[in-house]
Amino acid sequence: MPSDAQTRQSNEAWGSRIGLILAMAGNAVGLGNFLRFPGQAAANGGGSFMIPYFIAFLLLGIPLMWIEWGIGRNGGRFRKGHIPGMFGAIWKHPAAKYLGVIGLVIPLVVLSYYTVLMSWTLAFTWFSITGDYWGLTTQEQMSGYLTSYQVIGDGSVHAPWVPIFFFVLSLGSTIWVLSRGISAGIEKLARIGMPILFVFALVLAVRVMFLGGGENGVSPVQGLQFIYQPDFSRMDEPTVWLAAAGQIFFTLSVGMGTLQTYASYLSKKDDIALSGVATAATNETAEVVLGGSIAIPAAVAFFGVAGAMQVAQSGSFNLGFVSMPIVFQSMPFGQVFGAMWFGLLFFAGITSSVAMATPIVAFYREEFGYRRETVSWIVGLVAFCFGLLSIFWFEYGFIWEWDYWAGTFGLAVMAFVEVVLFMWVFKPETAWESIHQGADIRIPRIYKFIMTYVTPAYLGVILLWWGATEALPFLRLEGGRGAGGAIPEGGEVYVHVSRLLILAIGVFFAIMVRIAWKRNRYDDRAGFVEVEDTFLGTIPGREVAR
Amino acid sequence: MSPGALLFMALAWIFVLGLTFWSFARILRAQAHFAPDGIGPAAPPVAGRAEGPGHG
Repeated sequence: MPSDAQTRQSNEAWGSRIGLILAMAGNAVGLGNFLRFPGQAAANGGGSFMIPYFIAFLLLGIPLMWIEWGIGRNGGRFRKGHIPGMFGAIWKHPAAKYLGVIGLVIPLVVLSYYTVLMSWTLAFTWFSITGDYWGLTTQEQMSGYLTSYQVIGDGSVHAPWVPIFFFVLSLGSTIWVLSRGISAGIEKLARIGMPILFVFALVLAVRVMFLGGGENGVSPVQGLQFIYQPDFSRMDEPTVWLAAAGQIFFTLSVGMGTLQTYASYLSKKDDIALSGVATAATNETAEVVLGGSIAIPAAVAFFGVAGAMQVAQSGSFNLGFVSMPIVFQSMPFGQVFGAMWFGLLFFAGITSSVAMATPIVAFYREEFGYRRETVSWIVGLVAFCFGLLSIFWFEYGFIWEWDYWAGTFGLAVMAFVEVVLFMWVFKPETAWESIHQGADIRIPRIYKFIMTYVTPAYLGVILLWWGATEALPFLRLEGGRGAGGAIPEGGEVYVHVSRLLILAIGVFFAIMVRIAWKRNRYDDRAGFVEVEDTFLGTIPGREVAR
Repeated sequence: MSPGALLFMALAWIFVLGLTFWSFARILRAQAHFAPDGIGPAAPPVAGRAEGPGHG
């Protein structure tokens, strides 16, 4: 018999398969597609970077997609849309649910600072429309303008309430969409937001190609040359291969726990093999074709190859928020194109941020019977409080500390754990059969070998490398953390607070998981009882109203 | 643009665009008879109902 929790909570469903794929792709397409990818390609060997990039896509990206969709859909059989439950469904061991706590901590932490980054894009959309930064035509001026927005209390350009206002607007819109549910909220947003994002990106890419060039007079085509010019001498450098694998890993939004929750609303009659490929391919189109054709070619045309190289190396946010506004100011109708650029970044952000809270909402709905709207707004309130820390302590690097441990290293840990559980504990045969249930394509059999051996080994190497070269030094407060650079003077205490907070969130969720399991009398060794398949799927008629 | 850069760009674009078009073409074809989007009938045809022995 299903437990009280399993019978009490009606499940949700996707309205259509295209809607599901757009929502999955919306989750994957984020700020990194348009800002991180071109910089990584240019800095790691140009065209020859694409070789390890596509190898990582085939050996790491697509297999991880199938594994996450498989874990999610398998969890859905037991009405488990959260990682502790999904891991419990795979591994009948008391430790499984606690391992799954990572899949609740990461989404909450990332949601709280990602919506802050998203609020920058919304604010700059407004500043572009109103022409607020018009007249600031040098890197120094625009950099000062951005800093004035980021560092609250600087006050040289923006009043302190401005960043908070845009943060409330960004987080509020995310939570509002989330509170409307899977079909009426997230899927509807993806159906509107994804086409807008692609149209904006296409218009900008075409416009950039017709830039006449700034004072350097360089053609934007030289920007494509800058990204794709092969430098085979870099091919034997491990850092290039790891950078390519890292880019594939981040761009597909794996290791977050969100793809699994989306997939948990599917039935075993629904295809996940072809849908997984379609999702990954859509993300790659946004990244390689569109992401590579906007920011770097524009920067090269305006600042020259050497100037663009400097910009790319100074960080993705400088490329997007400092250089691009300068380029727009030189264009006719620059305010419109500026609004389109930041608008597309906002849509890329919100289609990802709405996914982040879904595992937590699923956990409280399924295990405690809370209403979706109530949980959504409570999660929003918690994310708001944590987000304020990212805003007020920005100058001390609080946001970059969370970005590194949850949004970078944490994702790799989570992905490694889930691959081992799905392919080794669940067993390759069961995993392979599970992925093929309802499949529209037969996955080439070589992928069974790749998913069992190559993908975990690839992830293991990445984890070891990052652990040795980044995580350990960062833990000892040596060096800078990713986009954040070095820890500023007096920032150590904020670093410790940020780490303690992540640990506290982990302890909190572990306690909640324990309470949920006791409350619903789950037997870890016996596993969950499968719920009727008629409650799951993508057919509107099968959706069960709350 | 150098031939090498052009070649790598063309190969990268052909690969991702090809994969995207192929996967969506397969999805739309699979939906032809069973599409919640309204592309096809709401349910797959039931075999034998139109051509059963009773229709002689």
